[in-house]
Amino acid sequence: MLFSTVAPASTSTSTSRDADSIPQHHPARDQFAPIPIPLRSLLPHSKLSLGCPILSRLLSGGLPVGTLTEISGESATGKSQLCLQLLLSSLLPPCLGGLAASSLLILPSLLPFSSLLKRLSRLPSPLHPSPLDHIFVASAHSPDHLMMLLYQADRLFHKSPSLMPPLRLVMVDSIAAIFRSEFDNNFGDLKARTGMFFKVAAKLKEQASRFGAVAVVTNQVVDVMGPEMAGDVGNNHHMGPALLSSGRMVAPAMGLSWANCVNTRIFLSRNDEMAAVGVNGEDMAACTRRRMEVVFAPHVPRSSCEFVIRKDGVFGLDIERQ
Amino acid sequence: MEISNLPISPSIRSKLLSKGYTSLSSLSSISPSFLAQELSVKLEEAVEVLRAVSDTTTSKSAHIPYGIIPGAVTAWDMLSEEQMQRHISTGCEDLDAILGGGIHCKEVTEVGGVPGIGKTQLGIQLAVNVQIPVEYGGLGGKAVYIDTEGSFMAERAYQIAEGCIYDILDKFPSNSREFLSCKERLQVNNFLAGIFYFRICSYTEQIAVINYLENFLTEHGDVKLVIIDSVTFHFRQDFDDLAQRTRVLGGLSLRLMKLSKMFNLAVVLLNQVTTKFTDGSFQLTLALGDSWSHSCTNRIILHWNGNERCAYIEKSPSVPSASAPYLVTGKGIRGINSNFKRARIM
Repeated sequence: MLFSTVAPASTSTSTSRDADSIPQHHPARDQFAPIPIPLRSLLPHSKLSLGCPILSRLLSGGLPVGTLTEISGESATGKSQLCLQLLLSSLLPPCLGGLAASSLLILPSLLPFSSLLKRLSRLPSPLHPSPLDHIFVASAHSPDHLMMLLYQADRLFHKSPSLMPPLRLVMVDSIAAIFRSEFDNNFGDLKARTGMFFKVAAKLKEQASRFGAVAVVTNQVVDVMGPEMAGDVGNNHHMGPALLSSGRMVAPAMGLSWANCVNTRIFLSRNDEMAAVGVNGEDMAACTRRRMEVVFAPHVPRSSCEFVIRKDGVFGLDIERQ
Repeated sequence: MEISNLPISPSIRSKLLSKGYTSLSSLSSISPSFLAQELSVKLEEAVEVLRAVSDTTTSKSAHIPYGIIPGAVTAWDMLSEEQMQRHISTGCEDLDAILGGGIHCKEVTEVGGVPGIGKTQLGIQLAVNVQIPVEYGGLGGKAVYIDTEGSFMAERAYQIAEGCIYDILDKFPSNSREFLSCKERLQVNNFLAGIFYFRICSYTEQIAVINYLENFLTEHGDVKLVIIDSVTFHFRQDFDDLAQRTRVLGGLSLRLMKLSKMFNLAVVLLNQVTTKFTDGSFQLTLALGDSWSHSCTNRIILHWNGNERCAYIEKSPSVPSASAPYLVTGKGIRGINSNFKRARIM
């Protein structure tokens, strides 16, 4: 179902905040006397499962509701595949790790639409007869357009469950592509670009927190130079232990400012290695080892595990804690 | 003139003035017999004059500290008060040591660092440690946690509170009667109930909450720590008028400083880092600009030293600049000398 800018007649009439969708103790409910939220009411914290028990265990249950997660990696590391898996997972009921909700997927362009539709329809969904009915797709060609789409999505969060599952997952694939060509390299534009990072992140987080939703963005990576360039902080080794992919040191795109905007950062990497195959291990063949690493998260330590991409999805192999 | 205010007979007063005794201090160290001789009066009258002088002097000196400027205290009183202050432990003994005991009350401390270094973890650890009962060396207070970024997770606070209680019971295994009653108070649910958590989604909500804090703190007098995580996030969106941003931030920091002194609590502000082009290269610096850097009493920078996490005191009025390594473990922030068998290193 394509995301339409014309509101259907059955939408809820209130354009302002629907009081029922705000949790009882949310500070926004009363503008003049903010009420603290009792921590007991926040436990257990709902999470969106990643669709595979091993990968979900890496994140102690999955992506926490109310937060913004970034999945970064080189091309062809499985980011989009993982996103589609998350879309399906969100349809499941909470007892199975889902959100019982609709999702919104924002792409930089809908041109590869037929292949996207094919991939979406091929996803196994034993519990859901028609998953495509609950996945909205839209394209954003600039950061301002993205903000406009997010504002328009507000009414989808308010939908009552009897008509259609409310929106509880917003996914942007990829955020780097949407920001890429918009800004020039001069100082004024860089400041405006940083301002937009925070605006977009604040809007996504606000929706996630207010409605108990999950926000996910994917990001590309850029190469960084080695520690011989120490002292030049622009090259990212102040961010801790380096991230490696295809034998190169890389870092998620959009720099330090964007890194401050996300709550959770997941890094997917691939490394082609020579491994022994054959009966007696005499032949060597290249095989791709894929790794998912939690770089930082509010609820789990830095850890990683290997995974594989199969026709029916992305699955983890085992868990290692660094 | 002070002599003219003394309750003595006018004849003796004129005699004092004609002899040159114009102020009370001039009469402070004179013996009655000498005064009687000077003034050619009887000894009893001289004694009465000196008694009147001493009465006036003692009643005046009782008012001197408050009479000069209302609210002023002597430096000696301030020193003894400061020495009696308890500090909030960070969980890492090395970091506590270089901080002079821990986070100070009545001061605003800024903690900044790159994403993933452990700012929120330190914030949650402080919100738990401030609640350690006085009998175990803590402040026995409560905490206000203002979350602007969404990184605070109640389940993480649960883990850290559990770890804190475990370590306290480990350190103080005594089963004596005084400790039994506070042992009952050492429950994870009590620690969670002692954190007042606010979730803020815009900079106007942030200003509103800080304005509201004075009322809230008056109602909840046992709050000893206010954390804002992070103070920066909503202010880095494109502000058309940067001067207005500086004014708003300045107002925020003044209000927080006033709250910390009025209610005798610690204010901890978590900040992000950005890069600044100085001396021909990009350096890491805390966000919000140069004018903000003067707003906080103390500044701690958390950074990576290779693969190790380190805390560096950049600015403090009472302790020298120093560095200390720390760990983020399953139980919370700990030092590197903690028992390795129990700590699971992240």
